[in-house]
Amino acid sequence: MGFLHPWVLAGLVAAGVPILLHLIQRREPPLVVFPAVRYLVDTTREHQKRLKLRNWLLLIIRTLLIATLVLAAAGPTAPIRGAAGHSPAAVVVILDNSLSSGAVVNGTSRYSTFRAVAHRILARATSEDRLWLMLADGLVRRGDANQLRKLIDSASPVPLRLDLGLAINKAEAVLATDGFPGEVILLTDLQASAVSAADVRRPLLVIRPEDPESRNLGISAIDPGPQPWSLAGSRVTLSVTGDSALAVPVSIRIDDRPPRQALATVGSPVSASLGGTPAGWWPVRAELDPDELLADNQRTGVVRVAPVARVSWDTTLRYLAAACEVLVTNGRISRGNEVTVGRLAPGFSIVEPPSDPAELGAINRALDGRGVGWRFGEIVVGSATTDSGPLVGHERVERRYTLRPVGSGRTGVMATVNGAPWIVRSGGVVLLGSIVDPAWTSLPISAGFMPFMDGLINRVARGELTMAGGFPGVPVPLPDLVNEVRFGEHRYAVEGGAPFLPSEAGIHYLMAGLDTVGALAVNFDSRESLLKRADDASARDLWHGATITSPEDGPDRAFSLGVRSDLRGALLWAACLLGLGEVLLASIWRKTA
Amino acid sequence: MNRPASSLGTARIDLLDPFEVSRLGGLELVSEGVVEGFLTGLHRSPRRGFSVEFAEHRMYQPGDALRYVDWKILGRNDRLYVKQFEEETNLRAMIVSDISRSMAWTGAPETTLTKLAYAQRLIAALALVLLRQRDATGLITFDDEVRSITPARARLSHWRTLLKVLGALAPGLGTAAEPALRRVMDRLRRRGLVIFVSDLLLDRDTALHALQFLRHRGHQVMVFHLMDPAEVNLDGPAEARFEDPETRATITLRPKDWADVYRKTVAGVVGNWYRECRKRGISYHRITTDTPFGIALRRALIQPSGIA
Repeated sequence: MGFLHPWVLAGLVAAGVPILLHLIQRREPPLVVFPAVRYLVDTTREHQKRLKLRNWLLLIIRTLLIATLVLAAAGPTAPIRGAAGHSPAAVVVILDNSLSSGAVVNGTSRYSTFRAVAHRILARATSEDRLWLMLADGLVRRGDANQLRKLIDSASPVPLRLDLGLAINKAEAVLATDGFPGEVILLTDLQASAVSAADVRRPLLVIRPEDPESRNLGISAIDPGPQPWSLAGSRVTLSVTGDSALAVPVSIRIDDRPPRQALATVGSPVSASLGGTPAGWWPVRAELDPDELLADNQRTGVVRVAPVARVSWDTTLRYLAAACEVLVTNGRISRGNEVTVGRLAPGFSIVEPPSDPAELGAINRALDGRGVGWRFGEIVVGSATTDSGPLVGHERVERRYTLRPVGSGRTGVMATVNGAPWIVRSGGVVLLGSIVDPAWTSLPISAGFMPFMDGLINRVARGELTMAGGFPGVPVPLPDLVNEVRFGEHRYAVEGGAPFLPSEAGIHYLMAGLDTVGALAVNFDSRESLLKRADDASARDLWHGATITSPEDGPDRAFSLGVRSDLRGALLWAACLLGLGEVLLASIWRKTA
Repeated sequence: MNRPASSLGTARIDLLDPFEVSRLGGLELVSEGVVEGFLTGLHRSPRRGFSVEFAEHRMYQPGDALRYVDWKILGRNDRLYVKQFEEETNLRAMIVSDISRSMAWTGAPETTLTKLAYAQRLIAALALVLLRQRDATGLITFDDEVRSITPARARLSHWRTLLKVLGALAPGLGTAAEPALRRVMDRLRRRGLVIFVSDLLLDRDTALHALQFLRHRGHQVMVFHLMDPAEVNLDGPAEARFEDPETRATITLRPKDWADVYRKTVAGVVGNWYRECRKRGISYHRITTDTPFGIALRRALIQPSGIA
C-alpha cells in the first residue's frame, strides 16, 4: 500500500483521542451524593456486561472512524485489480498509427480498432490523471482526456515507421519525470519488424489484435541506377517485399508517361527500361495492384537526365586516368573540356594534391586566383576512415592533406575523415584530400571506386549532388550548398549542413539559389510492408514483464497494472459505515435499555 | 410534575409548590394553612366511622359527611351536629417517620425540599387533621435505631408537642425500620392507624415483615413513600461516581446511558412496593417532594391506597 500524501498519516495520532478521553474520563469522574444508589446498582446489574461491551465497541468504532478518515485523507493506494477507481496516475498511450496500421482486416482498418480502444481507455481516466499520447511521429503530447481524444480522432495512418522499442523507451523517459505511478499502454499491430528491445521499468500493457495478419506485398525499393541518365534513358530496378510468394504485376512510369509493366516477386528485383525524356529532374513511380495495405503499393524515385560530362584528364595519374577510360568506355563520360580531372584548369576541375609538398604553395596560389574557398594544408599521416556519406562509403585513409577553409567559413564539404574535410567543392573546383592511390587511400581499389568517380565527375564537379533517399520523420543531413527544399507547393528555407526532417513521402528538390542541385526521394520504410506479427513470447522477452492482451480486454486492464487502485472512496464508505454503526449502536442501546 | 403557579395571595396553600409554601413561615403556620386549605376543598370528612355504636355529638365541621348530621337537632336547635361513634373517638394513630441521612437529601436544593423537610410538614399536617378529628396521634422517629417516641394523645394541644419534636428533628445515620415498627406495638395496644413515612431506602423484606405484623395485630397501616424528583429521573454529568450517603457505596456510570433503564427500575421498585403492600392490606402512596401537600394528603386520607 502506498499513500499520495503520506505526511497526513501524522494525523493518526488523533485516532488516540477517543482512547485518551476514555482514560481521562475514567480517571476523574465527579462524585455525586445520591441516596438511591441501590436502584442504580439494581439497574446496572443486568446491563453492566452489555454496557461494557457497548462502550468498548463504541471506543473501537470511534477510533477506527478517525483512523479511517485520516487514512482516506492520506490518499492510500494499492495494487488491487478490479477496485473501483484508481489513484492519480501518469500514463503514456502509444498509439501506433504507422503505415502498417492502415491495413484493412475484415473490412476494418487496424487503426480504427486502435482508435476505439484508445477511446475506451481514456474513458477510464480521471481528471487527476496525467496523460500523454505518442503517435508514430514519436512526439509525446501532454493533455487531458478530451484533448487526447481530439488528437486521436484527427490522427490517421501515416507513412512512418514506429520502432516500438524506442517508443517505449521514450515513454519511460517521460514517466521518469513524473512522481505519479506510471504505466505505458501500447496500442499496436505488433509488427515483428517494429519490435525492438526496450528498457521496461514500469508496467507495460500491450494491446494487439488477435486475428491473423493479412498477406501483403509492397514495393520496397526503386533504383534508377547511375545518374544522370543520358537523353536516351536508362533502366529502373525495383524490388517488392511482403508476406506473399506470388508474382504480382508492377507498373513503372516516368513522370506521366505510359507505364511499363513487369511481374515481380519477393526477393527477385525486376527492371524496366524507361527513356526518351529531355534533360531535367523526373519522378519515377512504381505501383502494385491494391491489396489490404494500400499505402505501400506505390513508391517514388527521381532521375536526373542530362548529357554525360565531357572530361579531360592527365594520363600520368594512374588510377584517375584508368577510371576515366572505363567511364568513357561505358558511355558515362566523353572526352572534352567541360571537366578536368587531376589538376586545376579552366572550367570544372577535380584537383588531386601533389605528391611533393613543395608544390602546395603554387597550387594554393592558383586556387586563390580562382577564388576557391579552400586551401591544402599540412600533410597528416595515420590510418583513418572516411565518414560514410552519399558520395563515398567507409574507406581507409592512410595519408591526407588537411583542407583549410578560407574566408567566411566551412562550406561545400562533400566527404570527411573523422569529421575533417576530405573532399570539398568551391567555385567549380573539387579538392581531394588524398592522392587517389592505395598508398594514400583504399578508395581506388575498392568496389565503390567507379560509382564514386561517376558521381564525382558527372554530378559533384558539375555542381550537382548525388541522389538521396529518406523516410518521413527521419532527419536527412543536407549538403552545405543547399539553402532551400521544395516539396510540391511548399518551400522550406534550410541552412546548409543542417539536417532536414521530411514529414511526407514524395520528391523533395534541393535548391542552391535558383539551381536544382539534387533531389530527395522520401518513401515509407519498406519494413512497414511486413505485416507478420511478433509472437507474444518474443515480445515479452524483449519487454520484460509486459502484459499482452487483446483489444477487447485491454481497456479494462488499463490503469490497473502499475497504476494503483485508489482506496480513498472505499475508506470513505467505510468511515460512513462506521459512523452509521456508531449512531445505531448508541441509539439501539438506548431503545433496548 | 408541573409546579402550581406562585400566586400565594389567592391560591389554596395546600395546592402550592411545597418549596414555596415552606418559605411562608414556620412549621406550625404552614401546616395549619395546608390543613385549612385541604379541609376547605373536601366535600366530606376525611375519615368516617365504621362502628354503629353511638358515642356523642360534636359540631359539624366542613368536610363531614352529611349522612352523619343529626337532623333532629338541626330541626330543634337550628344547629349542625354530627353523630360520632365509639371506634372513631378512640382511634389512635401513630406516625412512624424515617429521619435517616438519606432523607436529608434533595437533588435541587434551590427548588425542592429535602425529603425530611417535606416529611416534617406532611406529618404536621396529618397530625393536625387527625387531632382535629379527636384521634389520638403519636410520633416515632428512627434512623438506624429509634430516636424519639411521642405518645399518642387526642388533645388538640398535643399538636404543639408534636411540632416541637418535628422541629427538632436532625438527620440521623442509617435506616432500620423494624425496631421502630415493633415499638409501635408497645404504643398501640388497641387497633389503630400506623402511618409509615420513609424514602424506603431500607431493607424491604424486613420492613414489610414488620408492617405485616402490624396488620396482623389489626392496625390499619399506611405507607408514605417519599421520593425526590431527582431520584425518579436520573440526571447528572456525563459520567459520575454516585455515592450512597448512608452506606458510602459507590457506582460509576454515565447517567445519560442509564436514564431510561433507571426509570424503569424505579417504576419496578415502586410497583413492587405497591403490590407487596396491597397483598398485605397496606395502603401505599408514593409521593415526590414536589407534590403539593394538599394533593399528598388527599391521596393519603381519601383514597384507600394508590400510587402517585
